[in-house]
Amino acid sequence: MPSPSIDWTAVRAAAVRLALPRTLLRGRAGERLGSGTGSSLEFQEHRSYSPGDDLRHVDWAAYARSELLAIRLYREEVAPCVDLVLDVSRSMAVTAEKLRAHGELSALVACACASTAADSRVITVAGSDPAPLRRPEDVERLLDCALPASALEAPYLPLRRRSLRIVISDFLFPHDADALVARLARESASLALVQLTLGDEAEPEAAGGLRLIDVEDRGTIDMVVDDAAVRDYRARFGRLRLALSHAARRSGARFVHLAAGLPVREVARRLAAAGVLDPT
Amino acid sequence: MTFTAPLGLFALLAVPAIVAIHLFRRRFPERRVAGIFLWQMLRQTPEGGGRISKLPITASLILECLAALAVALIVAGARLSTDSVSRHLVVLLDDSASMAAADARGESARDRAVRRVRTELDRLGSGARVTIVTSGDRPSVIAGPAAYGVEAQRALAGWRPAAPNHSMALGIRLARELAGTDGSLMIASDLPAMLRGEPDVEGALWAASGIAVANVGITGAERSLTPDLGRGAIALTLLNESGGRARRRLDVTAGGTSIVTRDVELPPGTSSLTLSIPPGLPAALVKLSDDALLRDNEVTLVEPRPRIVGVANRLRAGRGHDALARALAALAGVTKADPGHVSFVDAEALDTPAAAGVWRVGLGKPPARLGSAGEPRDFIGPFLLEKRHPLLAGVTLDGVVWAGAVPLAAGAARPIASAGDRPLVATIARGLDTDVLFNLDLDRTNLVRSPDWPILVSNAVEMRRQGLPGPERWNYRIGEWVRVRLGHEPKAPLRFRCGGVERTLPAGNRIEFVAPSPGGLLQILEGDAVLFELGVNFLDESESNVRHQATADAGALRDTRGQRGESGPASDPLFWILLAIAAAATVANWWVLRPRSAVRDPHPRRSAA
Repeated sequence: MPSPSIDWTAVRAAAVRLALPRTLLRGRAGERLGSGTGSSLEFQEHRSYSPGDDLRHVDWAAYARSELLAIRLYREEVAPCVDLVLDVSRSMAVTAEKLRAHGELSALVACACASTAADSRVITVAGSDPAPLRRPEDVERLLDCALPASALEAPYLPLRRRSLRIVISDFLFPHDADALVARLARESASLALVQLTLGDEAEPEAAGGLRLIDVEDRGTIDMVVDDAAVRDYRARFGRLRLALSHAARRSGARFVHLAAGLPVREVARRLAAAGVLDPT
Repeated sequence: MTFTAPLGLFALLAVPAIVAIHLFRRRFPERRVAGIFLWQMLRQTPEGGGRISKLPITASLILECLAALAVALIVAGARLSTDSVSRHLVVLLDDSASMAAADARGESARDRAVRRVRTELDRLGSGARVTIVTSGDRPSVIAGPAAYGVEAQRALAGWRPAAPNHSMALGIRLARELAGTDGSLMIASDLPAMLRGEPDVEGALWAASGIAVANVGITGAERSLTPDLGRGAIALTLLNESGGRARRRLDVTAGGTSIVTRDVELPPGTSSLTLSIPPGLPAALVKLSDDALLRDNEVTLVEPRPRIVGVANRLRAGRGHDALARALAALAGVTKADPGHVSFVDAEALDTPAAAGVWRVGLGKPPARLGSAGEPRDFIGPFLLEKRHPLLAGVTLDGVVWAGAVPLAAGAARPIASAGDRPLVATIARGLDTDVLFNLDLDRTNLVRSPDWPILVSNAVEMRRQGLPGPERWNYRIGEWVRVRLGHEPKAPLRFRCGGVERTLPAGNRIEFVAPSPGGLLQILEGDAVLFELGVNFLDESESNVRHQATADAGALRDTRGQRGESGPASDPLFWILLAIAAAATVANWWVLRPRSAVRDPHPRRSAA
């Protein structure tokens, strides 16, 4: 099956990390302040002493002032949970250019996860356990793009609560944008939708008589791709993209559309502009 | 370029079929896409039965048409080299009935001749051109000219020799013309040329394939009716060519009913047989039991219906009246009637009007309208007679004193007998009828006592009888002229049918045609009404005698060195050229239409740094 060839040098040179939300995160111990109490240096609050509390955390100065035993609590530090949802259906490999762009985009996000020291997992199939992303190169073996349908079409995805969710897909499958985005954004810390398409998929040109064959076996049609047909198609594609954008806005998610063929650096810049990544 | 199997050119229909397929069921270039649902709501082109639009000239269309064209030319046997085309063979088949005489194994000379011709065709190969001619009084081409072997085989299979004895000369002449300077001539008969009575044919192969066999056949047949006695009869002439006495069964049926069945023992040679049958029966089928030649074992005989001539003797009393009465009494098929069909009158009465359909014979001094100035003269000869006129057939006027002949006005009558410049007997046309003038003095001439008198009277009656409606005869041999006079102008198309043969006849009250083969009961029809039924029979002594048939070859096919053996299609370079084109076009078409993978990565994989 096809798999992308990724220019890792260019990807690493982009030097990006995830843009974290302002909300408090949950996760394993890490470098980011969590929503609970922990052992960081940042003071959170006092509470009354209870038997069994560690005496080292008793605020003796406060006891001297008020003769009440109080315990000093500090914020916890966590590593953010990142669920990276990758569309590895055949539509992402409809051309070599699109597959390569998909690989570079996924690698760029994987590098960002690594730079953020996040607890990252990759979801490609709805019915199986997510694959842990221990190093960015792990993403490469997951991008064989041979599935007949995207994992996003499944009614359930193994997403974690309060996780940062990044979805990379072309979204070229029949769907209800509001329902899809709401399902992806439910109980998430943040959601970013990255739509990757070919330039020809977004803005096709008139090409005369064509037999159009869906790469995901959704049918075949003979049609004359003339100016009127192209005009209609562009309108429908625009409505699809607009629906995704509006749904993302309603769910507090970020949406960005990328065309295949852009240099990695330009991709990183656009993702940063959309608030998905941060330059280091 | 030549074609050894032109019917194969029908395969060229594959080309328009391919074009039609491309036109109506276009194969668009394929494009693999994601999200076809974005296109599906748009205007789609139906997969089949679409509108006719401009034909897309694609590589696939061109290659498929090229392959079909090449294959069609191969199937049609296209050849570049004319050397590989066989020469023209003209076969003249003896169509006489004796060719069908079967030997003890049931094999006839016809079967052997067909086998021989087929052997020659096989030797010449599939590209042979053949013309097959059947002999006869009217030779005909049954295959060709220059037909292919397949057509010739069909013609040979359907050939059934049945003609009466005839000369091969006309057939040989036609075959020679068809062979021209390049063709070879083969004559297939059951007799060698010499026994057939034909001269040797130079430059031709005379292949005789006959075998002498015994045969008994009917060579003559007549059906008669004696009304006075109320009796009918069938007189048969039988030929026994078996070399000894032969027993046969003779069956006579009429209208599906058996009339006579008799076992007859026939001596060698010719014998006669007369069978009495009741009068008034429909056409009788006389059948002899089967033997070597079936053609001469059967005759169909129609009962004759004599045409009775009504005669009136209006001569004034005297020796002329009496002599005429005696002469008429001696004639058959005559009845007294007034006015009748023919009326003997005094010549002066020719000036008076006569009823239509009545011929008049005037004897005596002609009326003033026909005569001219001059004294009557007597003549003892010499007499100048128009011998071809039916009235004077058999008349000599030897010893006749022709008395009282007066001069006739010029152009008033057509003389048929004269003495010097004086007409003695003349005919006068009167519409469709005829008057005859005997320019004489009945009281003084000795004509009425001479032997020519009853002949003249009989001729006059028979001449009138020929003018009556009906056929000349009721039974004919194949090839004889049938002449029938209708009593009226036909109001519907005329035609005849006989033994599966049906032909239209020219409109008119006189019909003439040749009795057709294979014979049998012949019906003449006006529209759907049957006017006359006649019998047409084979009756040919020469063909019934099959004791001298022999097998022998004489001569040889012209320039046999030029004839080649079987040549397959591989002998012509065009075959291989077309084969290569067809194969190349097929492979190229597969290459053009081969399934392509969805993704082709032009960039080599680069590992991570």
